[in-house]
Amino acid sequence: MATTATPPPAPKVNRIGLPVLDYRGGKTTLCAGCGHNAISERIIDSLYEMGIQPERVMKLSGIGCSSKSPAYFLSRAHSFNSVHGRMPSVATGALLANKTMMGLGVSGDGDTASIGMGQFVHLMRRNLPMIYIIEDNGVYGLTKGQFSATADLGSKLKTGVINDLPAIDTCALAIQLGATFVGRSFSGDKKQLSAMLKAAIAHKGTVMLDVISPCVTFNDHEGSTKSYKYMQEHEEAIAEVGFVPHFEDISVDYDAGSTFDVRMHDGSHLRLHKLHENYNPTDRVQAVKALMEAHEKGEVLTGVFYIDPEKPTFTELLNMVDDPLATLPQERTRPSKQVLDEIMNRLK
Amino acid sequence: MRQSFAIGIGGAAGQGVATPGDIFAKIFSRRGLHLNAYNAYQSIIRGGHTFLTIRTGPEKVTNMGDRIDLLIPLNQDTMDRHLSLLSAGGACIYNADTIKPGTPAEGVQLCPLPVSKLADISKNKVAQNTLAMGAALSMMGVGFQALESVLAEQFRKKEQAVIDENVNLARTGYDYATQNFQAFPHPLPMTDNRYAVLSGNAALAMGGAAAGVKFYCAYPMSPSTGVLHWMAEHARKANIMVRQVEDEIGVINMAIGAAHAGVRAMCATSGGGFALMSEGLGLSAMAEIPVVVIDCMRAGPSTGVPTKTEQGDLWQMLGAAFGDYPRVIAAPLDIGDCFTLIPEIFNIAERFQCPGIVLCDLLLSEGRLSVEPQALDFNPPIDRGEMITSANGNGHGEYKRYLITESGVSPRAVPGLPGYTHTVSSDEHAEDGVLISDEYTNTVKRRAMMEKRMRKVQGIEASAPPPELQGPADADVTLIGWGSTQGVIEEAREQLAEQGIKANQLQIRWLVPLHGDAIVGILKGSRRTIIVENNFSGQFARYLRSETSFLADGHIRKYDGEPFMPHHIAEAVKEQLAGETTLSIPAHEVMV
Repeated sequence: MATTATPPPAPKVNRIGLPVLDYRGGKTTLCAGCGHNAISERIIDSLYEMGIQPERVMKLSGIGCSSKSPAYFLSRAHSFNSVHGRMPSVATGALLANKTMMGLGVSGDGDTASIGMGQFVHLMRRNLPMIYIIEDNGVYGLTKGQFSATADLGSKLKTGVINDLPAIDTCALAIQLGATFVGRSFSGDKKQLSAMLKAAIAHKGTVMLDVISPCVTFNDHEGSTKSYKYMQEHEEAIAEVGFVPHFEDISVDYDAGSTFDVRMHDGSHLRLHKLHENYNPTDRVQAVKALMEAHEKGEVLTGVFYIDPEKPTFTELLNMVDDPLATLPQERTRPSKQVLDEIMNRLK
Repeated sequence: MRQSFAIGIGGAAGQGVATPGDIFAKIFSRRGLHLNAYNAYQSIIRGGHTFLTIRTGPEKVTNMGDRIDLLIPLNQDTMDRHLSLLSAGGACIYNADTIKPGTPAEGVQLCPLPVSKLADISKNKVAQNTLAMGAALSMMGVGFQALESVLAEQFRKKEQAVIDENVNLARTGYDYATQNFQAFPHPLPMTDNRYAVLSGNAALAMGGAAAGVKFYCAYPMSPSTGVLHWMAEHARKANIMVRQVEDEIGVINMAIGAAHAGVRAMCATSGGGFALMSEGLGLSAMAEIPVVVIDCMRAGPSTGVPTKTEQGDLWQMLGAAFGDYPRVIAAPLDIGDCFTLIPEIFNIAERFQCPGIVLCDLLLSEGRLSVEPQALDFNPPIDRGEMITSANGNGHGEYKRYLITESGVSPRAVPGLPGYTHTVSSDEHAEDGVLISDEYTNTVKRRAMMEKRMRKVQGIEASAPPPELQGPADADVTLIGWGSTQGVIEEAREQLAEQGIKANQLQIRWLVPLHGDAIVGILKGSRRTIIVENNFSGQFARYLRSETSFLADGHIRKYDGEPFMPHHIAEAVKEQLAGETTLSIPAHEVMV
């Protein structure tokens, strides 16, 4: 009996011809159920869907559970696991030296809001073209569960310790400091987080995403404000986030009265279906006000709070040579003869 | 004795000490003379005491010397503090309207200028400075034309009336002195040589440009800020990315990020800023990303004495960051060497993918020296070591960033190259960069990686030369110094020779690698050894002992903020040879 072998179905590929497998990373060593793993999944999906060339990505992180996670996605990219709280400056140096790389930073709440606060603040000021994700669980996991500076006042640890200091709102801070795409999401909110990450990839300046990501071991219980339960009960989306990438030429009708459409620099559209009245994501003052009001009410506001797709980025402002400094041929690394003569003449 | 002439100009900060200093320096260098300038100043914007010493002569002038030939006090305070430094043959030019001279030593010529009679002081507040400059040059036997052209250059950005006014004032001072004061017996010599005059900080920055540095960042800190200023001023022309960063923690990590991406990255600071950089230095070592950090030492600890010099940071450099790792530390010997050393240390740091530390100090950083223009070679060899800069197909996973090799050096790929994607980690890692302390710690891999990194030490040792003995082999005493004391020790040896004491010198430039065996080999042949250093505890003496068990016979140390003068060392050597002591701490004779 003659049989014809059916060829195995070709794996599904994205617009640059890569299967999703090429966007995956090593096996996670984080706890089962850790919100960080869900974020890694969303990063994989969004990079795949946006058709990003993995080798052009520079993953950057500090130290902590969050900062381990770049090992669990995009193995085909370059990765720099730096020192606790120092990723912002490492990223700045690396991206200034090679502005053609896409910077994807993953930090945690300790890494950002405590030991790295000085660096974080100055990174936001620069509007460096990169995505900065805080995997925010309000707790230090690797050192066995101490409060971080994003833990809410009155929040309780498993051991019964109550947090006696108010939380730092990294989103309000980022908006005030000059980041041009600021949002908050929840690791369990697959749809919202994916849309926000894709929009983040399309954005040209600094994207700051604070993603609440419950720590199942130390901070996922009654009394914690960073638990799955608390988030399910208190998450209040400011708008439904939709994203249409530039390569999907879909015209979508939308109700101008209830939807805010932001045309991104690369031609994509970020579409925010308003849930809060009068919400305008291009108004910094309103964005900060909305965040402050939500705190008063004990709500965790999520969504894209602020976006400015046009503000020049750090690398644009610096008026750099077209070629990345890092790959200049050796003969172009030294000042020209004319410049040297000028320098020497002034010494005489 | 070397023929030299020293001018001291002093006043309060803001009184305009710097401008006459610049003008004298230009005139001297255009006469083909060598010069050395040292400015003693305080941490204050206006007021306080600033005292600039410019020493010039036809032969190399390596330090500020022992005496002043001409004093120009711009205020009473300077007159009171410094008049006693003048000895017979010296002169003091001052504003007779505002300054009382006091009693000088015998043979010192007082030269009062009736400033309000010679100039309209309501119009020009620094008239006394310009008059004094003119007077000084007349007494030194320098033609007026030299001053006129430098003044025109100095004020080139101002309108012609300003230039004319200053030239006329200088001419008035010049003529007044010709008629009323006695000229110095020997007019200032002239040669056909032409030197470049630059500060140590400018030399460090220019050395960076010559080394192909494309990224420089810093946080302002005296006395290293001059490097940042040079870089910022030349950033656009020289195509160097220059950033002022929020703190030194940011500085070193930004430099590491840039170096990781593939450029040569450099930064400079002083001891306090370096303390913040320790953590990043460890990252450079662990991630095997070469960076060059310049430490311009000032007197410590803590904020210390921000405007005064010291060689007190050696042990901080030796112990910076925890754990064992290869590093390179070198101390430039003079301002010209500040330039030369940078490309050299970059080559070693890059070949061995480790941090390189330049241990400079305020004396060199802020001092100025005449240097042979040929010594500033902007085309020194660039050796970036085993570096992969072109793509290798599109493969993934084969490249091992931390490949275990015999030399300990793993070929370094620039991020962004297809085929060479990799992970860099501050955690201990396996050959592929993946950390090894996650689920369990792999002791075999940890040991192998530690040994790989430390194998680089042998290569580093071989890449820097051991020090060499200078001076007569059959000397009565060997003076051992490191870094910036090269010139002053050399002159002290000349003074000793005139008094019949033969001294030779071992000056250390490479601190790591030290070449301990070579040093001990040299010192074995010495009759007597004395270590000279600008700190309290004898940091180099202790380091040499810890590495080689070598004990010097004596020590000369100074930690009052001011640099050594040649006679400090010469006199200390004499008292030690006479058996009076084994530890001399010369006193600085004047409060500056």
